[in-house]
Amino acid sequence: MNGYSGKILFIDLSENQTSTIETSLYSREYLGGRGIGVKLLYDMVRPKQDPLGPENILVFMTGPLTGTLTPSSGRVDIVTTSPESNLLGGSNAGGFWGPELKWAGYDGVVIKGKAKNPVYIQIYNDEVKIKDAQKLWGKDVFETVKILRQGNEENQVACIGPAGENKSNLSGIAFNFRNYAARAGVGAVMGAKNLKAIAVRGTKGSDIYDTKALQEICLEIQNREKMMPLYKDAPSWHWKLFQSLEEDGKAFFGNYESFLWEDRIKAVQNVKEFIQQNHLKPESCLTCPLRCWAHFSIRGEEGAPIIACQGTWPSIAYFMKLSDPYYIWRIYTLCQKLGLDVGGTSAVMALAADLYEMGVISFKDTKGILFELGNGKAFAEAIEKLAKREDFGDILAEGIKKAVQKIGRGAERYAVHSKGGTELWLMEVRPFKGAALTCAVTDSGSCNRATYAFPDFYYRSMQKQAKMVAKNIVGKEDAADPTRYDYKPKMVLFYENMHIFADSLGVCAIPFQPVGLELWSRSFSACTGIKLQLKDLMLTVERIRTLERLFNLREGLKREDDTLSQRLFKEAIKEGPWKGEVLDREKFEAMKDEYYFLRGWDNDGRPTEKTLENLGLK
Amino acid sequence: MKRVLLVNWEKCIGCRTCEMICSLLNEERCNPTEARITVIKFEEKGADFPVYCQNCEAPACEAICPAKAIYKDDITEAVLVDIRRCIGCRMCILACPIGGLSFHPARKEIIKCDLCKGDPACVKYCPEGALEVVSLDTIGVKRRRENIRKFSSYLDMMTGGKE
Repeated sequence: MNGYSGKILFIDLSENQTSTIETSLYSREYLGGRGIGVKLLYDMVRPKQDPLGPENILVFMTGPLTGTLTPSSGRVDIVTTSPESNLLGGSNAGGFWGPELKWAGYDGVVIKGKAKNPVYIQIYNDEVKIKDAQKLWGKDVFETVKILRQGNEENQVACIGPAGENKSNLSGIAFNFRNYAARAGVGAVMGAKNLKAIAVRGTKGSDIYDTKALQEICLEIQNREKMMPLYKDAPSWHWKLFQSLEEDGKAFFGNYESFLWEDRIKAVQNVKEFIQQNHLKPESCLTCPLRCWAHFSIRGEEGAPIIACQGTWPSIAYFMKLSDPYYIWRIYTLCQKLGLDVGGTSAVMALAADLYEMGVISFKDTKGILFELGNGKAFAEAIEKLAKREDFGDILAEGIKKAVQKIGRGAERYAVHSKGGTELWLMEVRPFKGAALTCAVTDSGSCNRATYAFPDFYYRSMQKQAKMVAKNIVGKEDAADPTRYDYKPKMVLFYENMHIFADSLGVCAIPFQPVGLELWSRSFSACTGIKLQLKDLMLTVERIRTLERLFNLREGLKREDDTLSQRLFKEAIKEGPWKGEVLDREKFEAMKDEYYFLRGWDNDGRPTEKTLENLGLK
Repeated sequence: MKRVLLVNWEKCIGCRTCEMICSLLNEERCNPTEARITVIKFEEKGADFPVYCQNCEAPACEAICPAKAIYKDDITEAVLVDIRRCIGCRMCILACPIGGLSFHPARKEIIKCDLCKGDPACVKYCPEGALEVVSLDTIGVKRRRENIRKFSSYLDMMTGGKE
């Protein structure tokens, strides 16, 4: 089966058994990656199961382009039921693990059941072994990767840290020393299955249908990626992202209450100097020219490797108001090591500081930890406790929504989260109506999985370009204005679809839209030999999206759950470039109406009979 | 003049595009195991080294081959393996000081870089220009120039100007 490996591996940890099925059973209708992942989850998990119980499954799924010459094809998609939101939980990671799985002969791995004792899985082509991991349990991510590579250096390792073992809803799955499927608490699901790691080694490779065509297309894609503005900036994006967030008015500080933090310029300057002093060299994921990663010449604690992701540092600095780069770096390393989602953890820390300041929680609750914005030392201590679920960390490990419910005492008023309780990413959404809608309607409640290149996001700094892009998508320049509610549903639909394509094909969402659908679908045809009309591709994406919806509806999702936390509707932004902006409930609901309509769903957000019929989902 | 493949490992971003294009071109499949080039990654240290056959002047593999299957191409001077003569003893792999040769697991044959008949595809596809084809008479000065750039701040200090 060209492009695909042709098999999906099933591992039942309760029964200690493995089996495979043909990928072709699903690939025609669901493409791969996220698409097939969602289909497997929908078919295999009965409604309303405990996400941390043996009934839930954890799917690692590559796409038909993963592990080929196609640029930026290092991706693997993770699909499960999220313990944080109790809805569909999706996350996606780059690197080399997904490709290695493909080369071992599997398009995906599905983990069922729960092992009696801690185990890890070693895959070497057709050999799949479930091995004892009692000695690995308790080890951090860096140690685990090192141990599983001893004498087997070509192993690619997916693992959880202590945070996943302790089932923190903020825990992710790490891939080697750097890439993370960080969101939706996927690490907790792995931990709940007593599964510490999956080490993969594959020597079979990916078969290609038309090698000549693929060579040509890949050069074109690479050239297109090099024309992206991000390409030139990527190696310095680690600090330039701070500037860009500031220029576009996306930056907020602390628990979404300050927009003009006096140290914000200093923070950027410090980070810039720190990075310039210690930057060793840029790094990329498989076949990607973008070099989003940076190796640092400084060593972490216990000699841990320092390789930084550009999107994470601003969340640490902004949420916790840290202007000392030493602490930003230290907290980043800590999260990577413990197996935590940097963005989500930072958001929870900011909330705790807010609650502390407002007197909702006290020294007694926190067992002596001084939650105070700017206090890096205290936050580092608190994060260690969060990962181990010790003291107050046990409550914070639940994630924002469940944590404030547990705390009570009106804590809910201070919480900012998206649908299902997932933390927002590192930007303010109140002025960005499209992003806000995305966070409310999307599959797993985080806009990471749906928006990347929204023209709203760069409207302030590059208005001309933003207007042009908006015109191309919805036929109206004004649609780029972040604060407008009209046109946004259409735009959300477009970017959601793009993301689903990328996640299902197995390529990165960052260059996906700039490169353009045509080249990716030509690459798909060259790899697989399957000729797809754009119309068929669109239908596939609609099918995946509507199945995600059906899953969430089956878990009990209602129209009123497609929302963000109350605070974003009640409290206007107090200062800065977006002073006065707040989400208007009525206009927001109208955006939802239109979005549902465009998706072929009724006013309750349920797919209509006709839609189900068109998509073959009846 | 003989031209060789030269790597500037400091430029390598570890994306392994070279492995993908090499195996695709030679084996019609994307498979690092079947590629003639491998990026050896030291993820903890932040270093990536693309490793391939250096096409030596006095190849150890040629010297050790009991079947006299290894020879030099008349035009490109690349070290090649005559598969019809090769007995599959893998002595060449043992003898090579850098690991330039490998063994195709399915075909059971020695595989190695043949410089794509003088125009290596990995050079064309490397997004960072970390791989280059360099003529033998410039290879020394090229490396010297690249390496001395590390001291360019000293040069700026001495001359009072940026390069």
